[in-house]
Amino acid sequence: MSEDQDKFIADVVEKALQGDMDAINNIEDRVTRSKAKAALVKAKREAKAAATEDTSKSEESKTEESAPVEKSLSEKVAACLNEKFPNSLESEDVNGHIQMKDKNWFEIAQYLRDNLDFLFDSLQCVTGYDFGENEDLEVRYNLHSMTHNHAIEIRIKTDRNNPKVPSVEQVWRIGDWFERETYDMYGIEFEGHSNMTRILCPEDWAGWPLRKDYETQESYHGIVVQKVKDGWE
Amino acid sequence: MTVDQLINWLPFGTDWPVITFLTAVIICALPVFLFIAVYALVAIYGEVKISSFMADKVGPMGQGVGLHAGKWGLLQPVADALKLILKEDIIPSAADKKLFVMAPFVVFIGAFISFAALPFSQNTIIADMNIGIFYILAVGSLSVIGIILAGWSSNNKWSLYGGMRSVAQIVSYEIPAGLSIISIIMLTGTLSMQGINEFQQGTIWGILPNWIIFNNPFSFIAFFIFFISGVAECNRTPFDIPEAESELVAGAFTEYSGMRYAFFFLSEYAEMFVVSGVSVTAFLGGWNSPISGFFNSPGWGVFWFMGKTLSLVFVMIWFRWTFPRLRVDQLMSICWKVFLPFSLLNIFGVGIWILIAG
Amino acid sequence: MGVVHGDLMTLNIGPQHPSTHGVLRLKVKTDGEIISEVEPIIGYLHRCFEKHCENVSYEQVIPYTDRCDYIAAMNNNFGYAVTVEELMEIKVPERVEYIRVIVAELNRIASHLLALGAYGLDVGAFTPFLYMFRDRERILDLFETLCGARLLYNYIWVGGVSHDLPPGFIDAVYSFLDYFEPKIEEYNELLTYNKIFIERTGDVGVMPPEVAVSYGVTGPNLRGSGVKWDIRKDEPYSIYDKFDFNIPVGAGKMGTVGDCWDRYFVRMVEMKESVKITRQALKGIPAGDVHQTLPKKIRPPQGSIYKRTESPRGDLAYYIVSDGSPIPYRLKMRSPAFTALSVLGEISQGWMMSDVLVILGSLDIVLGEIDR
Repeated sequence: MSEDQDKFIADVVEKALQGDMDAINNIEDRVTRSKAKAALVKAKREAKAAATEDTSKSEESKTEESAPVEKSLSEKVAACLNEKFPNSLESEDVNGHIQMKDKNWFEIAQYLRDNLDFLFDSLQCVTGYDFGENEDLEVRYNLHSMTHNHAIEIRIKTDRNNPKVPSVEQVWRIGDWFERETYDMYGIEFEGHSNMTRILCPEDWAGWPLRKDYETQESYHGIVVQKVKDGWE
Repeated sequence: MTVDQLINWLPFGTDWPVITFLTAVIICALPVFLFIAVYALVAIYGEVKISSFMADKVGPMGQGVGLHAGKWGLLQPVADALKLILKEDIIPSAADKKLFVMAPFVVFIGAFISFAALPFSQNTIIADMNIGIFYILAVGSLSVIGIILAGWSSNNKWSLYGGMRSVAQIVSYEIPAGLSIISIIMLTGTLSMQGINEFQQGTIWGILPNWIIFNNPFSFIAFFIFFISGVAECNRTPFDIPEAESELVAGAFTEYSGMRYAFFFLSEYAEMFVVSGVSVTAFLGGWNSPISGFFNSPGWGVFWFMGKTLSLVFVMIWFRWTFPRLRVDQLMSICWKVFLPFSLLNIFGVGIWILIAG
Repeated sequence: MGVVHGDLMTLNIGPQHPSTHGVLRLKVKTDGEIISEVEPIIGYLHRCFEKHCENVSYEQVIPYTDRCDYIAAMNNNFGYAVTVEELMEIKVPERVEYIRVIVAELNRIASHLLALGAYGLDVGAFTPFLYMFRDRERILDLFETLCGARLLYNYIWVGGVSHDLPPGFIDAVYSFLDYFEPKIEEYNELLTYNKIFIERTGDVGVMPPEVAVSYGVTGPNLRGSGVKWDIRKDEPYSIYDKFDFNIPVGAGKMGTVGDCWDRYFVRMVEMKESVKITRQALKGIPAGDVHQTLPKKIRPPQGSIYKRTESPRGDLAYYIVSDGSPIPYRLKMRSPAFTALSVLGEISQGWMMSDVLVILGSLDIVLGEIDR
C-alpha cells in the first residue's frame, strides 16, 4: 500500500514540477494531499539548490556592483500579493508587517495557506488594536509556517463605527475562537463567521472592554459594578 | 445449625413452631447485624489506613486511643458513623417517597441475609442448609432491585443512568460467578457450605492443603474468575464506573444523604465480606487450617475463616488504590467475551478432569 | 456515525466539577452514550488581564502574568521578560540566563507532574496522583527557599531575576534530581504501562497532525500527534541552544499516533529531558550579577514585537505594542491552552461520555490561562 502511495506521490510531484498543480489539488484524502505537497516542496528546494549553485557565480558579480538589500519575507509576500491580488495592500511600505485592506482577505488567506513558497499553515495569534479614541480599529494576524519555519504579520484596519473584517475561520480553524475573542473585546465583526458571539464576557455584557474609550456599565443584572477610579490611584 | 440449636433449646418448643422459628431467627440475626456494623467500621478504618500507606498519605491521625495523641486515629470511623447518623435526612420533593425510603433497606437485605449461610467454623453457622451456596448466589441478587429502586425513585436523570449501569454490571457478572461455582460443585458433589468445607480437609500429596484451588488447574482459574466477578458485583474499582464517575456524581445514590447513604455504604462492605467469604469457602478451604492436622479445632476454625476472608477484603482494597477505572463498554465486553467463555471452559475442563483423574 | 439519530440530548458538565482543570462548562450533545457535539464554554475565570496591563507599568505586569497559568508561573514570567528584553534589545548577564533556565525547567517538571497526576485521577487511579504530588511538593519547597512563594513567584523580572540563588540551592536541586529520576520509572510501572490505563487512553481522542496545526495546537499536544516542533529547538530563545536534549514525539506505541496515551507519554518523557537540561545548566552556571542595570522606569522604544516561548502547555507568546511610555499600550498573551481547548470539540466526536473527560485531561488545560 505504501509503495503504491509513494509511487503515486512521485508521479503527482513530477506533474506539479512541470506546472500542473491540479493533480495535487484534486487528491481527495487530505493526508495524502499534504504528503504530496511536502514532497513537492522538498523537490523544489533541491531543484533550487542545484540551480543556485550554477547561477551563484554569475550573481556574485552582479551583487558586488549594485549590492541590493536581501528582500525580507514580508517584502516578498507583499510583492507576491501585489501581483496576484492587485489593489489589496494598503501600502507598499513594509516595516516588518503587511498592511492590508479588508477586501479580499479571505482569498488572500487561502492563498497564503496553500501557496507552496509560503505555506502559512498556522495562525498563531489574532490581536485587536485600538489606535485611540475616535481613531480606527485594527486586527493583526501573526502567521507562521511549520514547514518553512518563517513568520509574517498582517494588519487590517477597519473603521471604528462599523468595524467589519472577513472571517478566516474556514482557512485556519483556530480563527473561530480567536475572532470571537476579538469580537468580544473590540466589537469587530467578522463576516462569514458561523457563531459570532462573545466568548469571555457573558452573552449580555454591554460594551467592548479593550477599547480605549470603554466605560464599565453601571450594573449587571442588579449587581452594581464598582466604579474604577481614573488613573488607578 | 445455630438456628436449629436455638429452636431445640427454646422453652415453648414445638407448641408454637412459627413463633419459635421467628424468635430463633431474630436472636441469630442481631449478632450478625452487630457483626456487620463492627466489621464495617473496621473495614472503613482499614481502607483509609491501608490506602494511606499505599498512597504515601498520612491518613487519619489523632483521635487515638488516648485522644489527640498517637498516629492511629482509631476513633475516626466512629466519628464518621456518628456524623452520618446525625446528618439531616433530605428527601427530594419530587422523589417517590415510599420507594426512596425502601431502597437502602432492600440493598442491605440482599447482603445481610447472605450471612446466614456463611460457615464461620465447623459448628458456627447460622443455617446449615443443604443448598447453602446456591442460597447465597440467589439471595445476593436482591440488592439489584434495591439499586433500581434507588435510581428510579430519586427522580434524577443521572441517578437513573447510574443505577441502570450498575444493575447491568452486577447482573452480567453474576453469570461467570455462578458458572465458576458450578465447576467446583462438580468436585464436591454437594451444595452445602459445610459439605464443601469438609471436602477440603486433608492434604494433597501430604504437603499442600486439599483446597479446591490446588485441586486442578481449571479450578485455579475458576477462583480468579469468581473473585474478580465478585469485585465487579460489589461495584469496586476497577469496576466502579457507576459509583465514582457517572457524570461526576455518585450514580444511583446521588440524592441520598445521612443514614440512608450510610446504609448503602454498609451494604457495600457487607457484600465485600460475603463475596470474600464465599471465595474462601469454595476455593481456599474455608475454616480448614492450611497446615492440616494442626490448629484444627472449632475455635481455630473461626480464626482461619476470618483471616482468609479479611485477607481477600484487603486485596479488594488494594485493587481500589492501584488500578484505574474501566469504561462501561470495556467492563461489559470483558464479562461477556472473556469471563463467560472461560467459565464455560472451566466447567468442561473440571468435568473431564473428574472423568480422567477419578 | 449512524444515519439514524434519535433526539439528541443536551447535557451539561457544569462549571464546577471534580477535576483540577478549573471552571469550565462543557455543553455536550449526545445520542445515547455516543457524543455528537461538545462545546466548551469559557469565560468564568476572565479577570481582564490585558486591560490591567494597559494601566500598569512594565515591571508591574509580572505578577499578573504569574496568575494566568498559575501552574507554570515561572514560564509565564520568563516569556514576558524575554519579550520585553527583545523589544528593548538588552542582553542579560550570563548567570541570569542559567538561573532562568533552571527554574523554568523545574517548573516544567512540576507542571507535568500535576497534569499527569490529575489525569490519573480522571481515569480513576488515585495513587499516582498522590505520588506525583508528593514529588511536586519537593519542587515547590525548592522554589520557596528561592523566592519565598510556592505557586506564584514574581521571580523572573525584566533584565534579571529578583533574588540570587540562596546558599545550598544548587546542592538541593542536585539531590532532588537524583531522587526524582528513578521515580519516573515508578510512575511508568504504576500507571503508564498499566493495561487498564492503556485500554482507557490508547486509541481514544486521536488528533491528526493537520487538525492540530490548523487549530493552532502546540506543545506536548502537537508532539503527541507526531509533529516534531519545540520552540526551544526550532526558534531558540535565552540559552536553550547551548543544551543537549531530545524532543519526544508520539509514535502510536499503544494505539494510533496522536491518541491520549501518546500525549501522556510525551509529557512523561519530557520530564526526563527537563532533568537532563537542569543538570547541564547546574554544571555550567557562572558567577555574576543577577540584575541588568536598567533605568528605574522601563521605557521600551516605540514598536511592536511578537515573541514565542515554550511553556509546559505549548507555545506561549506575547504580543506587545509599546508607544515609548512606561506603560504598555497593548499587551496580548497568546495562551497555548486556549487553542488546545478549541480542538476538544473536533476530536471527541464519536466517543462515549466517559471519554470526554479522558480526552480533556490529556489536553492539559488551565482555565486561568484560557480566560486570562
